[in-house]
Amino acid sequence: MKFTITQDAFAEGLQNAVSAVNPRSTLPILSNVLLQAVDNEVILTATDLDFTVRTKAPAKIGKAGSTTLPARRLSTLVKDLAKSDIEVEVDAKSVATLRSGAGIYKIFGLPEAEFPGLPAFEGAVEFTLKASDLKDGLRKTHYAISLDETRYVLNGILFSFKGDKLTLVATDGRRLALAEVNDLEIPASQERDFIVRTKAVTELMRSLSDDAEVVIRLSQNMVQFDCGSTTLISKLVEGNYPNYAQVIPNKVNERVTVEREVLLSAVRRVSLLNTEKTGSVRLNFSKGKIEIKSNTPEVGEAHEELAVSYKGENISVAFNPDFLMAPLRYLQEDEVHFELIDDISPGVIKINAPFVYVLMPMRVGA
Amino acid sequence: MPSPPTPVSKSPRRKVSKVRSPKVSSSRRKNTLPPTVNNSASADELDALWNQISSALKVELGEGVYDRWFSTLSLASVDSREIVLLIPNSIYQVWIESNYAAQVQAALMTIFGGERKLSFRIENAVARPEQLATPVQSEVLQAPVEPAEVVGPKGFNPHYTFDTFVVGTNSEFAHAASLAVAKSPSRTYNPLFIHGGVGLGKTHLLQAIGHHLVASRKGSKVAYVRSETFTNEFIHAIQTNSLVKFRRRYRQADILLIDDIQFLAGKERSQEEFFHTFNSLFEGRKQIVLSSDQPPSEISQLEKRLVSRFEWGLTAELQPPDIETRLAILRKKAAGLDVTLPSHVLDYLAQRVKSNVRRLEGALLRVASFSSLSGRPLTDESIEHVLRDILQEEAKRAVSVDQVQRKVAEHYDIRLADMTSKRRQASIAFPRQVAMFISRRLTKNSLQDIGEAFGGKDHGTVIHACKKVKSRMEKEESLRQVVRFLEASLQR
Repeated sequence: MKFTITQDAFAEGLQNAVSAVNPRSTLPILSNVLLQAVDNEVILTATDLDFTVRTKAPAKIGKAGSTTLPARRLSTLVKDLAKSDIEVEVDAKSVATLRSGAGIYKIFGLPEAEFPGLPAFEGAVEFTLKASDLKDGLRKTHYAISLDETRYVLNGILFSFKGDKLTLVATDGRRLALAEVNDLEIPASQERDFIVRTKAVTELMRSLSDDAEVVIRLSQNMVQFDCGSTTLISKLVEGNYPNYAQVIPNKVNERVTVEREVLLSAVRRVSLLNTEKTGSVRLNFSKGKIEIKSNTPEVGEAHEELAVSYKGENISVAFNPDFLMAPLRYLQEDEVHFELIDDISPGVIKINAPFVYVLMPMRVGA
Repeated sequence: MPSPPTPVSKSPRRKVSKVRSPKVSSSRRKNTLPPTVNNSASADELDALWNQISSALKVELGEGVYDRWFSTLSLASVDSREIVLLIPNSIYQVWIESNYAAQVQAALMTIFGGERKLSFRIENAVARPEQLATPVQSEVLQAPVEPAEVVGPKGFNPHYTFDTFVVGTNSEFAHAASLAVAKSPSRTYNPLFIHGGVGLGKTHLLQAIGHHLVASRKGSKVAYVRSETFTNEFIHAIQTNSLVKFRRRYRQADILLIDDIQFLAGKERSQEEFFHTFNSLFEGRKQIVLSSDQPPSEISQLEKRLVSRFEWGLTAELQPPDIETRLAILRKKAAGLDVTLPSHVLDYLAQRVKSNVRRLEGALLRVASFSSLSGRPLTDESIEHVLRDILQEEAKRAVSVDQVQRKVAEHYDIRLADMTSKRRQASIAFPRQVAMFISRRLTKNSLQDIGEAFGGKDHGTVIHACKKVKSRMEKEESLRQVVRFLEASLQR
């Protein structure tokens, strides 16, 4: 196998692929990235058997072929090479020689035959949507994914394809984020619910480019995201996602519109005086304003005020500041709507787009 | 395994329940409201109790939260340690555990005077198929009726858990490995291969791993099967053209526990199928645990590629327990049976029944039931009488000097005659000394008798031989292994 590739393209491709390599893999072949030189590109594939990345990089192919090389080491090396073209040549014994400028590097690889085959998705259920829409939906929800490994069903995002939309849901039991991608056409026979693991979500957000479509293919326990030049394959989280609709309050007592950035920065400043993880910020809603307060013994107090058009009852709720700031940080709208019920009920954040964020209050001693 | 004599009015077996039913002592509790409702409480009693709990919950949570999260719930069961709530779907558990746990405990405190473990059950969650739609019965083979997910607990002996396993020097390695696997499957030793003679605890450990996983990891698919069953099911699947279902059952397990793998010996097609099953699971990073009566390399007629795969991970041996461990096992078992036997009886059993734990426990049961039936104090003679067939079995395993000589000669590739000869070459003298050493250890013969058996050697020669071998064993690992191997194969 022989090909020439720009340092940029190679480094980027390797960077994408390395994300799928598990440093603690037991099989040596899994620490390697599969390189296939074909037509006018090099296809890089890496996997840890649960998650696979397959990405393409443009290259000039001298001789088609394939091999596998140590992923991390190769990636680190290529990143450090000069920004010129790199010549790669691999002999029959899977030894690769890289030439870049005056440098020559020989790396021992493993034959391609040992690399696990990619799962097939023929005849699988397929969904197509705009990559930017999916990326937007994931951005609005991913921060609410549970980190608690004992609740494995919540360690991912629910993808629910039904009717004319895709609903994305993430929750950890203390807050829930839901976003929709609308204007899809999903025939009844294709309606599906599946849960995509956190790792796949993170990589997916990186790989989705803004101006293309993404094709999602579903097999019995795996999902494939075809983002054009990069394809991600991930094992699904097994199990049924809990009935999230139950969490969303079905009544609203008060509603107020706030400037997102202003609220975010105020909460951030106020929470700076919190020390322990159990610190809270208190939001007091009263006529014309929202007061944001925190009080940490031995450290200090903070108090900020935002002017808003609020005419409802006085409500005072305490929230976890990180959970409150997360949606504000990832939304891009200028304004958000805060919906309240009372002092001990969850708060809900909405925007002028299909999105809901339910945040449970903290019970702070009077 | 020997069974207790039939006309037993109150079989000790019934008390062999390791599920500790908590002893309720209401005097310790401050409150006098009804905590004595147990699992067989009537629906009315549970309803009444739930009403009480609900009132307390409303106080702690407020009407709004109560209405939203608790008004549609009911009590599935209550005992002095745990309260199980029936919920419509899983979101209730997630949300209540994350947000209202403290308030629930506060409410329970006012009702019960103490905290309770809060568990949840989803209504109609018996969607887990307890039985396959059509259990196919075949006259020749055993019909595999277990559905994919529930292969675990249904096939398990409830007594075979880590709690009931008595660890001794003979089993601590295998036990530690099994525990590690149970705690972090496929991240420690994969595959785990446990081997040992009959009745030494292989099935106990395998099932203990299974129990642990079923209890600690919800939704985990635990498949436990004896390799005979695997083979039978495989044949059946071929005959009924249902290979896909068969493969799904095993290849989609999160952990495969396979007992008595030596049974695959000589069965080519089953080995082939198992090879593919193994690979599929291993590549999917699923935990595999195997048990056998021999280490992988000694199972006859087993394909090399299977042997090598079994050796990929960790191989642990279960050896017969030493006397201290035997005593510990007897004591634990006796306690579990709620049976008290005088310590001289336990000592006697521990000394006389050495070969395997199953036999030991059987002997205990027999002696215990005899004692409770006859009502008379146990003497050595009466025990001997009760256990005569077991003791006969044990005696058969007694090793003779002749056997030792043959085994050692075979191992060192010298003639049997050399054992009794006077030749002094090291290549002959040393094996002779090893044979004397082992004879001293394994047979009850006197030094003189041993010396005689080795061609009229002096008893001092035997003492010298034993000393020499012992000191060399302390320095040489390889010699220790050889001796261990020889002793083990003599005692099998």
